[in-house]
Amino acid sequence: MATGTAPAAPLTPAVFAILLSLAEGDKHGYHIMKDARAPQGGGIQMGPGTLYGSLERMMRDGLVEESGVCDDERRRYYRLTNLGQSVLAVELERLDAAVSSAHALGLLPHGGRS
Amino acid sequence: MRQSPPSTDRLDRLYALALCLYPAPFRRGYELAMRQAFRDALRDRTLSRRTLVPLVLRDLVTSLAKEHLAMLRDTFARPTLVFNAVVLTALATGLALALYAIPQQVLRQGANDPQIAMATDLVAALERGDLAATLQQGGLPAIAGGLGAVDMAHSLSPFVIVYDDRGHTLASQALLDGKAPVPPAGIFDYVRTHGEDRFSWQPRRGVRVAAVMQRVGDAHPGFVLAGRNMREVEAREEQVGQLAGLTWIGMLGVILVGTAVFGWYTRPKAA
Repeated sequence: MATGTAPAAPLTPAVFAILLSLAEGDKHGYHIMKDARAPQGGGIQMGPGTLYGSLERMMRDGLVEESGVCDDERRRYYRLTNLGQSVLAVELERLDAAVSSAHALGLLPHGGRS
Repeated sequence: MRQSPPSTDRLDRLYALALCLYPAPFRRGYELAMRQAFRDALRDRTLSRRTLVPLVLRDLVTSLAKEHLAMLRDTFARPTLVFNAVVLTALATGLALALYAIPQQVLRQGANDPQIAMATDLVAALERGDLAATLQQGGLPAIAGGLGAVDMAHSLSPFVIVYDDRGHTLASQALLDGKAPVPPAGIFDYVRTHGEDRFSWQPRRGVRVAAVMQRVGDAHPGFVLAGRNMREVEAREEQVGQLAGLTWIGMLGVILVGTAVFGWYTRPKAA
């Protein structure tokens, strides 16, 4: 049951990477860890302890929930809640503004984004 | 079904053992899922053991610390528990202060008793006019007792000093550094108005006197001061302070242990 309040931006790297990974759809623990490790997923080296500790707090804050899907007794799948989607959108806007600013200042000489 | 290599099984068993270090509620909730995630990582050919093992070790250290801290926070930082502990601490502090203040006041007030009697008797004798001749010779009547000049800095004997209406010394049983000391003018003013004052007097650093001053009326107005060095009384007050301090620390210890035990048995069980 969600009892906490939504975390304020900026999110921690682990929370951001988990939200970003789950934005694609329901995923189990290792899938999230793998997404997070990829450069486009945040490049976060996350172990199972950090992952499930973060997931527990995110469930308490109402950002994610267990989807109930199960392909194995031990694999638990998670999905974003509406609140989780909103928090991710706010964080992405914040990062987008920061990247735009860096771009305008010429800090991304190779055109970090189009 | 594919057979796992021996090193994979060993790492899996080691990781299962390491999971025992997590707080029980967290372990109950996520042990199987964490082991599965670790097995998936071991099977992932894109992730070498050289990368995985340090990553998992680092993760164990940081997440163990984080989860134990979270457990402590959930167990002991609940508002009700903290509120109860604060209230009990305030009560214990108030009780310890009372344990110090009440005996301290009793000791301090009791230290005036002989001086009150001496000053009252001497004032009565002076007002009867019996002692005018004695005082004119710079002596003091037998009613004041004593074994001659009292060294205020060292002797514990009570003493009396008689002052005239302007606060000049007429006769004194006590000397400090060879002179009869005179209290601040404000004391004389207060006694002139109120008839009596009981006060702690420090004629010089390191010498404190429990003093009682009374007004002498009638034909020859003046003042009588009876005093006694407070060294012994202050030593007893210090003992009382130490006992009250020890009692306070003991009560805080009981509150701490009690709060910890109560917090542990009433901790949230959900994972």
